[in-house]
Amino acid sequence: MDMLITIGVIVAKLTCIYGGMVVIAALTTLAERKVSAWIQFRYGPNRVGPWGVLQPLADGVKFIFKEELVPDGANKWLFRLAPAISAMPAMMGVAVIPFAAASPFYQDEGPLAIASLQIDVLYILAFSGLSIYGIILGGWASNSKFSLLGAIRASAQMISYELALILSIMAVVVMTGSFQMNEIANAQGGAIWNWNIFSQPLAFILFLIATFAETNRHPFDFAECEPELVGGFHTEFSSMRFALFFLGEYCAIFVMCCMTVLFFLGGYHVPFMEDAPWFLQVGAMLTKVIALLFLFIWVRWTIPRFRFDQLMDLGWKRFLPLALANLLVTGAIASGVF
Amino acid sequence: MVIVKRKQLSFSEKLYLPEILKGMSMTFRAMFKPRTTRQYPEEPLPVNEVTRGQPRLATNDEDGSIRCVSCGLCEAACPAYAITIDGQDTDRNAITIGGDVTEKFIEREPESFDIDMLRCILCGFCEEACPKDAIFMSDELELADFNRNDLIYGLDKLKRPVSQLRPRIDYIYKVNERWQAPSSTR
Repeated sequence: MDMLITIGVIVAKLTCIYGGMVVIAALTTLAERKVSAWIQFRYGPNRVGPWGVLQPLADGVKFIFKEELVPDGANKWLFRLAPAISAMPAMMGVAVIPFAAASPFYQDEGPLAIASLQIDVLYILAFSGLSIYGIILGGWASNSKFSLLGAIRASAQMISYELALILSIMAVVVMTGSFQMNEIANAQGGAIWNWNIFSQPLAFILFLIATFAETNRHPFDFAECEPELVGGFHTEFSSMRFALFFLGEYCAIFVMCCMTVLFFLGGYHVPFMEDAPWFLQVGAMLTKVIALLFLFIWVRWTIPRFRFDQLMDLGWKRFLPLALANLLVTGAIASGVF
Repeated sequence: MVIVKRKQLSFSEKLYLPEILKGMSMTFRAMFKPRTTRQYPEEPLPVNEVTRGQPRLATNDEDGSIRCVSCGLCEAACPAYAITIDGQDTDRNAITIGGDVTEKFIEREPESFDIDMLRCILCGFCEEACPKDAIFMSDELELADFNRNDLIYGLDKLKRPVSQLRPRIDYIYKVNERWQAPSSTR
């Protein structure tokens, strides 16, 4: 009986969190089009459903009915595998994101997450590092110059920014003394100035910018880079495989926003409210994440794309030393040198 | 040789972030500015008497009789060969102009008058060619159907009362008077 309840709770959590993530990713595509339209004095999609809410559904139906093309000379297996590999890491990453301090489910210990590990942070960083494989395989397997160029750029970019990303998080980890995300979030409970963004502003800025690069978003979307590379790594993809790349991208953005919130913006804590009920905590978490998603979209439609050498310069010569120095100072303070 | 002097950037400009924030505040303000898109089917295009829409045949307001005498001048003037007229004899001998019933002998009227709207280029030559003020460019612009045959408009779809076409008729007369062209019956 206990076994059945445990399985039921796991299935319920999987359904809620994955379903919620896919819905949020779909609505993010809509929000992207809406916000871009508003910034450009347009209306955006407003025909399918009220305010165009059903537009992602219509897009999905369209993608399913499109013809699937595999280019000549493509590596058929890798070509078919790549979109799945690209969507997988974000899906795996969300498994350890805690959405509330305590799970509301019956006989469920620990935070409201699909799985709570001792090394949450390492796990999620490892999987976000894997997300580049989908892009590289997709670019290489499609036997196209543009795809390959996009994939190579993306891999170079991800390697350079992952270092800054991880080092800026490490400062927070050193401060909290834990690799568990719910403990990092719990350390920021209570007043709003307990948030890590105030004790680690430099790390926050570095992390945020590195996040843009990590998820291949503007102004660092060199993997796609429409004016130079047609469509980058997904030039040759069509139909649902193309959509899967985008699902992966938006899920990755969602996971990255969750991470930013957990590390720097107080996580699931409602400001000035200790021990809030679980639904308020989930609400607070989602509000912060949605605000960050809006920031992602807003930045995309504001800033032009960097040049590739500027990107590399920024990553290796500015972010890496800054992140290292930040970690060093944080470590010195945390270990009581000063 | 042109020597380009680069602008010396200040420290905050070199930091890049303040400038990004400036740009973002601009795009944020843009979100609340009025939209320039026209929501087309709900907000139709603005039309006036200068609008050269689809050609329509004028009918007299009083008795609904058609003004066309099937002379075939518009058929000849049409550069797209969109007009096909079949005439027939008629014993109708009175038309009503401006409220007065004028005795006037009319030999012919169109038996069928077809305009292929898929061929029509809305040039307005038929309007200029017509000696009887029977065909005018209306302000009707929308044209859609599910098959091509339904887009060949016959008399039933082309007839419009003069009162409906009045702004266009007045405009044409204004233009003609400016050119000192002889005006026919109004």
